[in-house]
Amino acid sequence: MSSLLAKRKSASGPGHWGQTTHLLGTIAPGILWIVFFLVLPSFYLMSIAFMSNGPYGLPELPLTLQSFRELAGFGFLGWSPGNLYTLARSVWQTLIATVLVILIAYPLAYYISTQPASRRPLMLLIVVVPSWTNQVIRAFGWMNIMSPDAPLSDLAASAGLISSEMGLFPSNFAVVLGLVYNFLPFMVLPLYASFERLDGEIVQAAHDLYARPINVFRHSILPQTLPGLMAGTVLVSIPAFGMYVIPELLGGGKSMMVGNLVASQFAEASNWPLGAAAALIMILATLGGLMVLRRLGQRLGGGKEVVL
Amino acid sequence: MKRANFRRGLRAWWYIVLFFLYAPLAIVVLFSFNSTRTYSTFQGFSLEWYFKLFANETIVSAIYNSLTLAIVSSILATVLGAVLGYGMFRYRHLKLGWLIWFIYLPLVMPDIVYGISQMTFFVQIHEATGLLKPGLLTMIIAHISFQIPFVALLVYSRLLQLDPLLFEATQDLYATPWQRAWYFIIPTLQAALISAFFLSFTLSIDDFVISFFTAGPESTTLPIFIWSAIKKGITPEINAISTLMIGAVFTAAAISYAIQRARLASNPSRK
Repeated sequence: MSSLLAKRKSASGPGHWGQTTHLLGTIAPGILWIVFFLVLPSFYLMSIAFMSNGPYGLPELPLTLQSFRELAGFGFLGWSPGNLYTLARSVWQTLIATVLVILIAYPLAYYISTQPASRRPLMLLIVVVPSWTNQVIRAFGWMNIMSPDAPLSDLAASAGLISSEMGLFPSNFAVVLGLVYNFLPFMVLPLYASFERLDGEIVQAAHDLYARPINVFRHSILPQTLPGLMAGTVLVSIPAFGMYVIPELLGGGKSMMVGNLVASQFAEASNWPLGAAAALIMILATLGGLMVLRRLGQRLGGGKEVVL
Repeated sequence: MKRANFRRGLRAWWYIVLFFLYAPLAIVVLFSFNSTRTYSTFQGFSLEWYFKLFANETIVSAIYNSLTLAIVSSILATVLGAVLGYGMFRYRHLKLGWLIWFIYLPLVMPDIVYGISQMTFFVQIHEATGLLKPGLLTMIIAHISFQIPFVALLVYSRLLQLDPLLFEATQDLYATPWQRAWYFIIPTLQAALISAFFLSFTLSIDDFVISFFTAGPESTTLPIFIWSAIKKGITPEINAISTLMIGAVFTAAAISYAIQRARLASNPSRK
C-alpha cells in the first residue's frame, strides 16, 4: 500500500529530490531547535558533572569523579550524610504525596463519573482551573494559610501538634501538602477517563456474587481503572520528584529536595560540578522511575501496555 | 440504605476537596482587599494595594515582559511545532519513531534540570561569543523549546483524525505543496492551531522555573517578581498582583467553557 502511494507520489509529485527537501523542511526546524537549545545544553550540563570545580565555582578540566564523591557526602570536613538525606527525602516525599493523591482522587473521579453527562465537563474544569494559576501563587496561598499567626496554625498549636510560636510551614508536612495540592488534578483527569469507560455490568456481577466491597474494588474496579491509575501515577510522581518551587517556599532548609540541591549549587554555593552531578542523578532517577512504572503497569495489566 | 450513605459520603468528599483546592486562592484574593498588612485578621475592605500596584514601575514592566515573552514565544512555537507535527504526519511511514524521543524529552525532563542546563549553556555561549545575553531573548528561546512538543503533538493528532483521501485529492488536483498548505492544511487545522497557540501561551505564563534560570536582570516577569517579593518578605501588593493573575485565569477558563458549550449546542451530533 505504501509503496503504491510512493509510486503515485513520484509520478505526480515533486520527485525524490523534492520529497527529501520537503521532509527536511518540515521536520528539521522543530527538531533542530530542540536539539540545539535543549539536548546540547543538557549534554553540556552532564559533562560538567565530570569536571573539577574551579576557584570561582565554574567548571574546569581535568576530568574527575570528585563531584560524585562530594554528592555522596565526602567533603573537606569528612563524611556527612546531608546530600544523601536530601535524595532519600525526595523519594520519600514523592511516594507519600503520590499515595495521598491516589487516595483523594479515586472517590473524586468516581463521583464525577456518576454525575449526569452534561455536568461532568464543568466539574472537571472546576477541579483543573486552580492548577492553571501560577505555582508560585498557589504556594504563596498555602504560606498565608499556614503562617504562624493564621487560624490553621493556631488550631494545630492548640491541638498540641506544633509549638505555638511556630507556623505549620516550613516543614516536611507543608511540602507534602503542597505536592498533593499541586498534582491532584493530574490524577483526577486520567482516573476519570478510566471510570467513564468502566463497564458497570462487571461491577454489578461482583455485587451479585456477594463479593465484599474490598473484593469488588480489587477484582472489578481496579483492573478496569488501571490504565488511568498508572498514567496518573506517572504524571504525578515524575514531576513531583523534580519539584523546585514547593520545597523552596514551603520547606525551608530542612525539607530540601534534590531540585533545590541542584539549584543551590548553581546559585549560593557555586559548585557547578556538584550541582551537575546531582542533576545527572535526577535525570537517571526520572528515567529509572519511568521504566519501573512501565514494568509495573505491564505486570499488573497482564502484559498489556498501560503506561506510555 | 448503605448505598445512600455511600453516595452522601462521595458528595461530601467532593465538597471537601473543592474547599481544599480553592482555599489557598481564596485567601490570596481576600487579603488583597485587606486594609492592613496582617494576615491573621481581615481589618476592612480597601483597594489601597491595587493603587500601589499600578504606581510601581517594576510591576508594570514585569507585566509587559510576561506578555511579550508569552506572545512572541507562542507565535514562533505554533509555527515551528505545527510544521513539525505536519512533517511527523506526512512521513509517519518512514522509520522516524526515534524522533519521538526529542518530543518527549522536554516533557519528562525535570523543570529545574531544564532551566539550569539552558542557563549554563547560554552563559558559556555568551562568554565565548557575546551573543545570547541572558534576558528576554534567551527566555523566548527556552520557552519555545518546551512549547514545540505540545504544539507538534496536538497538530499531529488532529491530522490523524482527517480522512487520508483528502490528501490524495489535493494531489489529484495537482496542487503544489504551497497551494496545499494554504488552501487545505491551514484552513483545516485552524481550530487546532488556535488551541495550540493558547496552550503555548498558558504554558509560558504558567512557567516559573525555566524563566527564572534563563532570565537576565532586566527581564523580570510577573512570577519572578512575585517570587523575589516573597523571598524578600511578604508585602500585600503580592496578594493584589496574584489576585489579578488568578482573575485572568478564571476569566479565560470561563470563556473557553462558554465557547465549548456554544459549539456543542450548535452542533449536537458531534460529541
